[in-house]
Amino acid sequence: MIADLGFKATKSFLTACLVLFAVQGTAGIWDDGNIEEGQALFNANCASCHKVTNEVLAAPGLAGIADRWGASEELLVQWIQNPQGAAESGDSYIKSLVSRYVPTYGWMTAQAVSAEDVKNIMAYVQNPPDAAPVADSGSDCITVDELPIEEANNDSGVWFVMLLVLFLIIAMAAAGVNRSLTNASREKDGGALLEDLPYGQRVKMWAWENRVAVSLIGVFIVAYGAVLGYQGLMRVGVVEGYKPNQPIQFIHSVHVCENEVDCKYCHHSAYESKHAGIPSTNVCMNCHKAVKKGRRYGETEIGKIYEAIGFDATSGTYVDGEGKNGYASPQDTYDGDPIRWNKVHNLPDHVFFSHQQHVVVGGLQCQNCHGDVETYTVGRVAKVEDINQLVDKYPGLIELSKPTLTMGWCIECHNKAEIDLASSGYYEEIHHRLKDHLRGNEELRMYMEDDKITVKELGGWECAKCHY
Amino acid sequence: MMNIRNSIVLSAVATVLVATTGCVNNPDSSGLEYMPDMYRSPAVEAYVDYGQDPYQVGEEVASSQRMVQSARKPVAGTIAFHPEAMDFVMPYPYPNTVEGYEAAGLALASPLTQIGQAEIEAGQEIYTLMCTQCHGEEGKGNGALSRNGHIQGIPSYSDKLKDLPEGKMYHTLTYGKGLMGSHASQLSQKDRWLVIEYIKVLQQGGEMPEFDENGNVVKSASTEAGDAMAMNN
Repeated sequence: MIADLGFKATKSFLTACLVLFAVQGTAGIWDDGNIEEGQALFNANCASCHKVTNEVLAAPGLAGIADRWGASEELLVQWIQNPQGAAESGDSYIKSLVSRYVPTYGWMTAQAVSAEDVKNIMAYVQNPPDAAPVADSGSDCITVDELPIEEANNDSGVWFVMLLVLFLIIAMAAAGVNRSLTNASREKDGGALLEDLPYGQRVKMWAWENRVAVSLIGVFIVAYGAVLGYQGLMRVGVVEGYKPNQPIQFIHSVHVCENEVDCKYCHHSAYESKHAGIPSTNVCMNCHKAVKKGRRYGETEIGKIYEAIGFDATSGTYVDGEGKNGYASPQDTYDGDPIRWNKVHNLPDHVFFSHQQHVVVGGLQCQNCHGDVETYTVGRVAKVEDINQLVDKYPGLIELSKPTLTMGWCIECHNKAEIDLASSGYYEEIHHRLKDHLRGNEELRMYMEDDKITVKELGGWECAKCHY
Repeated sequence: MMNIRNSIVLSAVATVLVATTGCVNNPDSSGLEYMPDMYRSPAVEAYVDYGQDPYQVGEEVASSQRMVQSARKPVAGTIAFHPEAMDFVMPYPYPNTVEGYEAAGLALASPLTQIGQAEIEAGQEIYTLMCTQCHGEEGKGNGALSRNGHIQGIPSYSDKLKDLPEGKMYHTLTYGKGLMGSHASQLSQKDRWLVIEYIKVLQQGGEMPEFDENGNVVKSASTEAGDAMAMNN
């Protein structure tokens, strides 16, 4: 009996506590929280999945949660601290949440926050202050506003040819008018009329009358043509400055410089393939699942990624499931129109080139051949003079003189680039064999006359190294 | 009269000069090519598919060939054959579900047999290339994308993810989790296990363990903690 009483007393005490807690909760969870503390907590714990707007990131946006939340406030706290535990409570609102969101976004991670923290977070979620402008991180990156806007440039020589034709017509007409006027005045004066010669004869006569000027101009035109022709021929096969339009107005500077995404994050196959690789759309999505708006082009350019991969930006989910069927990633199963990038650096088909050899074995920096891509918008073939100016910024850059992507440029570098014999077992073995061999030893001494072994000396100038 | 003629001649010359120097400068054209068929061969190359010679097969056939993706996927169900590294080419058995994530955390263990200086440093290199822009140099979740306010709330390895088992890390790298996407297309299976070795170092605060002259781990923060626990017990 006494035990029973005791039990009852404990029970009523507990009930009282619960009621008290609930009352405090009503007063606290949605009101009186500290917005600033809430913001810090939110950014640390919630922001990787939730936004305070309606936007869906990796979980529903939290705008209007106070009106939406249909369970008790303790359950909200519990839901945040231990979602699976809260689901076991059997509350119908929680059940609806689970059935609606967990299949798409998975379970929310249990967060180590107190009820007081939740109060602060809810204060922030309900009244988020306007986002402060992103502080300038003091980097020396070119900002988006400083970059030129790419425009389809379809200028051609047609204009000038048209002008030239127009000018010739005017000149001929003027000559005709001049002739008629002369004839008219002579007729009036009673002088002899101009002979009625064929047009070609008349041009000849005019040229003879002005023979000094005409011959001078002729010589000049021939010389000028010769120079132009020579320059034109020297530009055959030189692709410096080639910058084709791309399907997406991509801005390298924002990605590489501002957000410090390494070249090889997107062009990751540079390490293991002859191609540096154009990133597949799922690589774009590693960031653009969260970053849905660009500073210059807003949603239009990023929207092209979503269209290609089948991503619904408003719900934050892939149209074709999250690649849940085994190993497949979303673009494996979504039958969208791929983004057709235009290849910029294109070597002739009879040239073998491997990024892997140059990046992994040679240890070259990307900038040595591609220039300061972190200041670019879309990709382009860098000019060799521009690359040479980067020596201070990227120590170890090899300065060259021939136009980029020409054979002269390749072999010039092979003649300059030094091989570190200790850098790999392969070179160590070569070094070993040269040293131990009588003739090889002589050759090695010859190589080492300038105190370095270049790529050329180990066969970098052999035709079959690149052409086979 | 002569003056007019002279000026006519001079302006004609000027027009010719301008016409020839202001040459075609279209950025969409890579310029003149010597023997274009040697640049643009019908052989299938990754990222450039010119199709067969349009002069021979017609522009229609050639252009439809250009629109076919040249990079192909391996035949379904095949695996790469690396006799000495079969552990790193087998299909990943855990499904991309919540249960798969938990199961991987419990049962999945690194197939790396030797973990020493070379492995951890290789992992660090991969980490620096592939992870720092979000997770930050020290794995505290303060990479540039986070500092610039693009992606927030990235958990710190040494704090929230301190006890994350390697199986879960591998699962996340393979399928992605939350905002993080799958990195399976960028990192080979071995790369993924190598970077996990470095993330384990970051979980312990980021200090590299000590290595002996053979590159074996002598003492790491985690083994020290283990020793201390063993002594307490």
